[in-house]
Amino acid sequence: MGLYAIRRVFGLVPVLFIAVVLTFIANQFVPGDPILILLSDQSGDPVLEARLRADYGLDRPLFEQFVTYIQGIFTGDFGLSFRFANVPVIDVIKTGLLISPVLAIAALTIAVPLGIVLGTFAALRRDTLADTAVILVLVAGISIPNFAMAAFLVFLFAIKLNVVPVAGWGSFQQAVLPVVILAVPPTAYIARLSRTYMLEVLQQDYIRTARAKGLRDHLVTYRHALRNTLVPLLTTIGIIFGGLLSGTFVIETIFNIPGLGSMAIQSVFARDYPVTMAIVLLFTAFYSGINLVVDLLYGLIDPRIRFGGDAA
Amino acid sequence: MTAIGQERPRGRGHLGDLLAWLRRGAKSDFWLRFRRNRNAVSGAIIVALVTLTAVFAPALAPRDFESINMLAVWSPPTGDNLLGGDALGRDILSRVIVGARVSLLVAISVLAITLTFGTAMGMIAGYFGGWTDTLIMRVVDIIFAFPELILAILVAAVMGPGKLTVIIALSLVWWPGIARLTRSLVLSWKSELFVDAAIASGTRPHRILIRHLLPNIVAPIIVRASIGVGFIIMAEATLSFLGIGVQEPEPTWGGMIRDGLVSLRTEPYLSLFSSLALGITIIGFNLLGDGMRDLLDPRIRDR
Repeated sequence: MGLYAIRRVFGLVPVLFIAVVLTFIANQFVPGDPILILLSDQSGDPVLEARLRADYGLDRPLFEQFVTYIQGIFTGDFGLSFRFANVPVIDVIKTGLLISPVLAIAALTIAVPLGIVLGTFAALRRDTLADTAVILVLVAGISIPNFAMAAFLVFLFAIKLNVVPVAGWGSFQQAVLPVVILAVPPTAYIARLSRTYMLEVLQQDYIRTARAKGLRDHLVTYRHALRNTLVPLLTTIGIIFGGLLSGTFVIETIFNIPGLGSMAIQSVFARDYPVTMAIVLLFTAFYSGINLVVDLLYGLIDPRIRFGGDAA
Repeated sequence: MTAIGQERPRGRGHLGDLLAWLRRGAKSDFWLRFRRNRNAVSGAIIVALVTLTAVFAPALAPRDFESINMLAVWSPPTGDNLLGGDALGRDILSRVIVGARVSLLVAISVLAITLTFGTAMGMIAGYFGGWTDTLIMRVVDIIFAFPELILAILVAAVMGPGKLTVIIALSLVWWPGIARLTRSLVLSWKSELFVDAAIASGTRPHRILIRHLLPNIVAPIIVRASIGVGFIIMAEATLSFLGIGVQEPEPTWGGMIRDGLVSLRTEPYLSLFSSLALGITIIGFNLLGDGMRDLLDPRIRDR
């Protein structure tokens, strides 16, 4: 286990390195000369242009720029923003740094328990009308894109019923709709999986044994069956988190929330590529980190899993 | 995904199922089980309707989807504009109908590219093994390390928005899944006697791959890919919604929802009707995909 953990942590290094290389290359290939855009009406001034190029390090050889880029990342220095002259990228993004993870975690704390309850409910009523109805709702929850759902819910709750604000960030009321909308797809996804796992577990021999020795139904369900569905569910938390991070791009844009997601989209349009790339890097690192933690937890929780060889 | 891969296809396998269905027609086991699955049948009906709408869009649209009409700016549903008009007075119904065509075209392009490229890469990796396998699977791992939408946004940032960007970005994100599945299928089939026999009789590798292995693995790959169509449509709509996807004047459901959000308070029709079209379409594809998977995955079937 210890060895496996070390190997997994070091396995992240090449992936993150390649992510860094990719974002650096992407920065080189983006259309337009950022310095000329920054200069705008003063573009005839060669002194100013040379000074800006030096400030942004763009006058140095590519390899040297790359080394500086990597060194900077270790100290949280992602270079300078193209949109705001001479402002470090980190100063642009640091105000929104925690908003996307907070939104994602809030949605996850709703989705996990609710999804498990819904899934168990459907599994215990397999092939009844209630089961079919729940499945249909779950398919809708997975299928309807969050911005389409947002259009409906904002229209209904913010405009027609006027119970929550249309957009903004800062108060609890403003956070309700974004978090709920973010939580819908993972809730449906978790419910669907826990229904499947529950049906699988309920057919196991140890469930029959538990029933045979006269254990009451709810004890069989909750102590024996439910527990064993939690382990495979845990492995999907990584995927779910990836979806939630992507969801924040859309939700933050719709609700005008100043997090990294909406900032990434804005900087794509403002051609502020250093900011876009920094956010892509941060999200990728965060996502890889979550997946690593989930993998390691999986081994700790399920005693049947033994790491070794390439079986992981 | 790995579940299908690790599971050794039993009997004649998935392709056998499909062929038997085609041979025996309406009375086959597969068809009967499909018809009993109400959700799958509703999904198939929705998919058929959306596909027909996309194919016959120009004939079905009551008006020209591009023609601007100042009298119908943000018009509510009327006899002239059955679903109302948008910011330029263009007919929303016509744009929703043509939007189906744009959505499906992008989805089909992405499907074609990822099926071809992903299957080829997976077969090469699985059959030849060694450093070829390592190299291809490393690339797959790296792409999997990025959250899907974020990688697509990265591509859009470099290439600039547009239909081609969307197709390339989504293909880039989707082929690794197909490649992994194909590789695991090839690994489970290549130890079969008929492959040894083909090698012994001097058949060249590309012929073994295409004539001997591909027919045995193609069905689960196609099923796997078709399950993804709903999500490809959703991803395209998301990129278009964010403004980095398909651009005006081509109507896309994602773009129309965004355009409508601005005036949601007074004229909600644009957002709501395009949300409805998009939501129902993806539900249809997912219901059908789930049904197909349930029917063709022998592990689930026996329950």
